[in-house]
Amino acid sequence: MKVQRWLLAALGCALATLGVAQAPKKRDLIIWGISIGADSKGQDAVIREFERRNPEVNVRILSMGAGSMDPQKLMTSIVGNVAPDVINQDRFTISDWASRGTFQSLDELIERDKADPLAPKQSQYYDAPWKEATYDGKVYAIPTSADNRILYWNKAIFNEKAKELRAAGLDPNRAPRTWSELLAYNKALTEFNKDGSLKRAGFIPNFGNAWLYIYGFMNNAEFMSADGRKCTLNTPAAEEALQYMIDGYEVVGGYEKAKSFESGFLGNENDAFVIGKVAMKIDGDWILNGLSRYAPQIQLGAAPPPVPDDRYNKTGRFANEKDTFITWFGGFSLAIPRGARNAEDGWKYIKFATSTEGRMLDYAAQREWERRRGRAFIPRMLGSREANEEAFRRFAPADKKFADALSMHIEMAAFGRVRPATFVGQTLWSEHVRAMESALYKKSSPRDALAASEKTVQRELDAFYNKENYPIVDLSIPAYIGLAVVGLLLTGAAIYFSRLKLGRLARGEAIWAYIFIAPWLIGFLVLTVGPMVASLFFSFTQYDVLNEARWVGLKNFQDMFGSDRDLVLKALGNAAYLAAVGVPLGLATGLAVALLLNTAQTGMRIYRTFFYVPAIVPSVASAVLWTWVLTPDANKGLINAAWRATLTDWLSVPPPAWLQSADWSKNALILMGLWGAGSGMVLWLAGLKGVSGSLYEAASLDGASPRKQFWSVTFPMLSPIIFFNSVMGFIGAMQEFDRMYVMKPAGNGPVGPDDSMLTPVYHLFRNGFAFFKMGYASSLAWMIFAIILALTFTQFKLAPRWVHYEAEK
Amino acid sequence: MGPLRGRKVNPDLIFAIGTALTWFGWFFALASVWKLVAVFNSIEFERPRAIRSLAISAALAGALLLVGGGMLPPLKESGLWRLPLFWPVMPFSAWLIILGGIMLASRLFAAWMAADREEHDLKLRQSAGWALLIFASISWYASDQTSKITSLTGGIRFAPSVAVGLLLFLVVAVAAMALASRATASRGVSRNVVTQIALITGSIIFAVPFVYALSTSLKEDRDMSSPNGIVWIPKVQVTVPFLDKENPLYETAYRNQTVQGSVIQQGADGTVTVDIFKPLSVRGLTFITQREKLKEIPKDALVFSGKWSDGQTIKGFVVTDLEDGRKKLRVTDPAALKDKEATFEPAQLEPVRVDGARWQNYGDALSYMPPETNGGLVYLKNTLILVILGVVGTIISSSLVAYAFSRMQFPGRNALFSVLLATMMLPGAVTLLPQFLIFRSLGWIDTLYPLWVPAFFGSAFNIFLLRQFFMGIPMELEDASKIDGCTYLRSFWSVMLPQIKPALAVIAIWTFMGAWNNFMGPLIYINSPENMPLSYALQLFQGDRTGEPGLLMAFCVMTMLPVLGVFFFLQKYFIEGVTLSGLGGR
Repeated sequence: MKVQRWLLAALGCALATLGVAQAPKKRDLIIWGISIGADSKGQDAVIREFERRNPEVNVRILSMGAGSMDPQKLMTSIVGNVAPDVINQDRFTISDWASRGTFQSLDELIERDKADPLAPKQSQYYDAPWKEATYDGKVYAIPTSADNRILYWNKAIFNEKAKELRAAGLDPNRAPRTWSELLAYNKALTEFNKDGSLKRAGFIPNFGNAWLYIYGFMNNAEFMSADGRKCTLNTPAAEEALQYMIDGYEVVGGYEKAKSFESGFLGNENDAFVIGKVAMKIDGDWILNGLSRYAPQIQLGAAPPPVPDDRYNKTGRFANEKDTFITWFGGFSLAIPRGARNAEDGWKYIKFATSTEGRMLDYAAQREWERRRGRAFIPRMLGSREANEEAFRRFAPADKKFADALSMHIEMAAFGRVRPATFVGQTLWSEHVRAMESALYKKSSPRDALAASEKTVQRELDAFYNKENYPIVDLSIPAYIGLAVVGLLLTGAAIYFSRLKLGRLARGEAIWAYIFIAPWLIGFLVLTVGPMVASLFFSFTQYDVLNEARWVGLKNFQDMFGSDRDLVLKALGNAAYLAAVGVPLGLATGLAVALLLNTAQTGMRIYRTFFYVPAIVPSVASAVLWTWVLTPDANKGLINAAWRATLTDWLSVPPPAWLQSADWSKNALILMGLWGAGSGMVLWLAGLKGVSGSLYEAASLDGASPRKQFWSVTFPMLSPIIFFNSVMGFIGAMQEFDRMYVMKPAGNGPVGPDDSMLTPVYHLFRNGFAFFKMGYASSLAWMIFAIILALTFTQFKLAPRWVHYEAEK
Repeated sequence: MGPLRGRKVNPDLIFAIGTALTWFGWFFALASVWKLVAVFNSIEFERPRAIRSLAISAALAGALLLVGGGMLPPLKESGLWRLPLFWPVMPFSAWLIILGGIMLASRLFAAWMAADREEHDLKLRQSAGWALLIFASISWYASDQTSKITSLTGGIRFAPSVAVGLLLFLVVAVAAMALASRATASRGVSRNVVTQIALITGSIIFAVPFVYALSTSLKEDRDMSSPNGIVWIPKVQVTVPFLDKENPLYETAYRNQTVQGSVIQQGADGTVTVDIFKPLSVRGLTFITQREKLKEIPKDALVFSGKWSDGQTIKGFVVTDLEDGRKKLRVTDPAALKDKEATFEPAQLEPVRVDGARWQNYGDALSYMPPETNGGLVYLKNTLILVILGVVGTIISSSLVAYAFSRMQFPGRNALFSVLLATMMLPGAVTLLPQFLIFRSLGWIDTLYPLWVPAFFGSAFNIFLLRQFFMGIPMELEDASKIDGCTYLRSFWSVMLPQIKPALAVIAIWTFMGAWNNFMGPLIYINSPENMPLSYALQLFQGDRTGEPGLLMAFCVMTMLPVLGVFFFLQKYFIEGVTLSGLGGR
């Protein structure tokens, strides 16, 4: 009876659970890389319509975090098995991701849904964007937007400066067409302030969206060989293009000055192009919506981006060239990452969102929203020819200047080049930025900069093509080794313990003690010893977590001092600079404040609070704040405002560009560090309190001056603090990361101008988590460890020579 | 001043000399006041000397002011006195030459005054060094074609009110100093005054970035980079409440939150479609609701000033924004034109602004957070989870382990303890990557676990520190508890732990700071906003809202505040903590 009742109850429970399970539960569809904001009404409409048609799906957009599309985040999530279902990915990186096996091929799905009117078909698309989204003959993503770049010019400024332009023999009623014309217009339109800073720039070569790519393409530079096996970043054509950018920057006072100028730019209705701080820029069609929203009255001109004179005149190298004007294509595409939990719904969404119907829904909703706010809507360019044609039929802007600009973009689409579709796309991009910046900052000649970057890209290519040369290793080996080590240790301990002749009490105490230290012991074995063994093992392999590891022997260490030597040395040099200049300055500031506080008769506690508070501000918050404080524009940045009011006015020393300058960025970090010198001050205060008064009494009896007293009594007595902090400072500088990550310019290019903010741990982080080169990153980790160990030992060995320890007496 | 010796002298030079003489004159004038006080304070037999020195400085003051004033160009406007200002604008090399000259002269003088041969030679050597610098600077100056010396001349004119105020201030200051000098040795006082001034200046410098952050967080975007330099006092554009009949604004409820929006469609059955305008996180969403649930509310219409057709300046608020960028204004001022409407080009309008804080930045910053973060509260919650679990874990595990290492006998104790000390040197970088793989295999990516679980395994430095403290507790205390029959756990918990409370507080504060600041951890492990702590959210917000610095600074201030709050309550432990960590447990 009783048993039966139990069974019944259990059955009831099971049914109840089933009932709950059967209740309709919506499937989550997680999409990354789509920004939702106040203005993305069209996007919202598409998602809502998709949800209406698929009521069982709940679309979740990640707008911040991983959603803001940092390749490092995407890679971590795919590796960590928490990949999104759909990702909106910059198209030129598709090959890169596909080659690592991180995206799913869409061919089967396209084939399966041939009959579905929503399904994408190659025939609907322009060739270039579709090809960009394929790798190794397979489709990995469906193109959405397609943008190209043209020259925008502000007619109002050309009118204002008509006299100057005519004086220079230029026509104020049209835009420049050739490179030399562009330089001449730039010169005539650029104005400087009395203090030497820019008042208005005619044209800043890389403001807007141009990069070396556009100038390179115009000059017929190819960045990869046709078979994709060789990187050809360093060619005379590319070098000439880079030199042209340098010349362009020369007109506006150099790259650093232009960067300082740009640091004062704002958005929306205060945009630099809108308010006439910049007269011309090369940019994409995405700016049109903003212009129509915030500056409908702007006297906008649109023209093809100027090309080399020879190309325009069809002379010299370009005598047989068909196309006069050149631009480059970019854009996004939707893809499904490997390991997506809801790939089927993801595909459904991609089909709907990329279809002509979906696009038109997006535009209609967006136009409606803009209309309600009294704004004109301008459609964006798309990768699908069919959708594009439909869009321009239905949504062509009424305002002539915007319609003209849009048709210029469409016209130029025929002459669009794309960035090479290669599996090193991301690296090629970062390296092209690195070479460009290095040359523009005049840290190296265009040729050297391009050659160095070419070498780095080539290393990636070679690693990929040569990987078959290295044997695959079973990763369970380090796991077994680790387990064996732990097992051996434990057996050894057990044997040792059993051999000991302990009394009952002592045995009990020992057992309790082991229980007490168990947390640390377990943590030590699992989170320290194990990882150390693994890390050592990885440092001899090439391993990206998703694919099998390959044993490469000492190659990683050779690379560290071979092909990657420049960056490694730069990282170490930066850390050394931060430590050698920053640590003593920080200690001195702390000591100065402490000495002052020590003499103060009243208010010591209040002052101490004032000086100490900056030290406890959360590191990211203080980095964000100091990015602003250090803005080079003296109308915005605190430091440069003070500098301009004093040093510039009195001594005519122009303010530096701080974080925008390769030479000053580390000084900027040091200055920021001084603000947090408060913790050092507290330390000194404690140290000063510890110096016995009798020593000073004796000194003053001997007739020592206050200065002499400081150097002969105070300083030696404080030497342990100095010693300890300099050791910690050096070690700390090697491992700095947070500030650099927050304060560097956005993007995956160099860390700070010309990598001047790269630290060893940052280099490790990039290699490990942005590129997932676990092997190389592990070898970097061991190098850092070795240096820290060596530093610590030498310092402790040298210490007794000059450090005074009270206890020794 | 006319020509001297028949040659025209640079007027700037005369102005400079005049300025210097005037300043010296004022200095002696001040000195005379001080000496006057001294005359009254002096003892009988000192008085004649005091009077003499008073007379000398007063005479000097008069002479210098007269001569100096004579060299300066005459005052054009009314006003009795002025403080002339002169500043040479010259290249850095010229400043180096002057600095070198002064130093050279002082070293030479010191050499001349030197007591012994050795000092004499030393000073001579130093002067040679300075001479070298001068030479180098001169050649630098000569080589630089662009260098030229100009000067800024001007003066602070004393309006009578300023002069009276300054005089009063001087009198009060001198009186205070005189009083003080009677009480203490004057040397100590003056030194203290100098120290205090230096400290106050320093405190101000250290506080300026905070003020800057606060003021930036309350500014409108247009003031972020104003051509007139940094704007310290925020201004806001004036708005007036405006019941728009053509395109009314309604307040209603949407998913349990109050929203404002406009009606874009009327249904037949009394339903309406509402387009949300506020809050920002759901702006642009449309939803269907009942007509009667709407409540009409006034809009905040922006006020501009412009020129009316007859040329007079008017103020008015925006009724409609036209598609081509023009604005339709309804006049509020002057009264004669009140309620008339006209359309203006944006360039003809000037926003009407008053001093005031734009608190809206804070609200907007929060409403720009992704909807799943509940206006940023989720970030705070996550950070608090990390902080609390981190602190609890660290304290429990570290103190237990430290207790065992300090008070219990077990085989292998010393060996294990040296291992523990050795791990203090191990940089986190070495274990970073494999730890990621471990947490990955546990399925912990995009969860908070990797960020707090390790805290429960103790940290070497904390264990080391707590062990030192445990060692300092007398043995007798524990022995007594053992005799009373306490187990190890009991005596640890009730007898030993309370003894080291201050050390625990310090460790708690370190862990708190560490967990609050942890940035690299979340950056590696966290993807979705629901699991994100504040530090990472702030960094992402920075990337997201580059166009709206006011919002960024507002968020930045909000992440600082909790830590600053904790600091002000627990200042003592923070300061103790620094001392402990910095002295390496010495």
